[in-house]
Amino acid sequence: MAGPAHPEAMAPPKPGRTRTAPPQMPSTWWSSPRIRTYLLFDATGIIYFLVGFLAIKIVGQLGAGPIAWQAQMKALENPIYILFHVVALASVIFVAVRFFRLFPKAQPPAIGPAKPPPGPVIHAGLYVLWIGLTLVVSLALAGVIF
Amino acid sequence: MRTLLLKLEPIIWFMFGQGIMIGTMLMTGWILVIGILMPLGIVDPMNLNYVRAQELFTASVLGIPIAQLLLAALLVLPLWKGAHHVRSLLVDLGGGERDPLVGTVLYLIAIVGSVMGIGAVAGI
Repeated sequence: MAGPAHPEAMAPPKPGRTRTAPPQMPSTWWSSPRIRTYLLFDATGIIYFLVGFLAIKIVGQLGAGPIAWQAQMKALENPIYILFHVVALASVIFVAVRFFRLFPKAQPPAIGPAKPPPGPVIHAGLYVLWIGLTLVVSLALAGVIF
Repeated sequence: MRTLLLKLEPIIWFMFGQGIMIGTMLMTGWILVIGILMPLGIVDPMNLNYVRAQELFTASVLGIPIAQLLLAALLVLPLWKGAHHVRSLLVDLGGGERDPLVGTVLYLIAIVGSVMGIGAVAGI
């Protein structure tokens, strides 16, 4: 994020009928907490890319045999990998908290005759699902269940 | 390329949406245990030795390879969240002129990664 934000990034491809002032990025944009959080949310995409490809490599090593799997698990003990995963965990929690807060607001008022539950119910339900799945995945990987 | 991306928008948004929702939900436990707790020795890595990892990741329920399906989702979906959000970040910081090319490259990376991920799961 070295360069300044592009002031035309959200401009429509063709000018509309209504005259509007050209979009301008204020010079103080970088100091606004809202745009920083917004860009940080997008930037977690880089972490998701890296976690995804690393997970593919890890599972690939499982298919390559016991020696490759053992070596892969040993390699993950490298402090750089651990630090990366700590950053990845923080990113995933940040995405979950922000996305779950936005999700109820993005629901349509009705899908056919069915109306979605109230926002707080959806919000709480997402947390229950997330924490529940995290517990099941963690306990399964740790050998406590299954 | 811009027209193609617009036509594929529903598919791209579907994969992005599942990446941010299901990907996040599945990744949290994976990162916590495999990326942090096992390397630090807080959870014994022997609990996921080769034999048990094979059993766990090939477990099925009523003939449905549920573990492999979940693992494939864990490997593939985050790539689509990553591609779409990196594209969005680059539009915000660099403008939309190069977006069709950047978007195409990012989604191609996600497609190649998805094939690799499914291949890795099938190879267990």
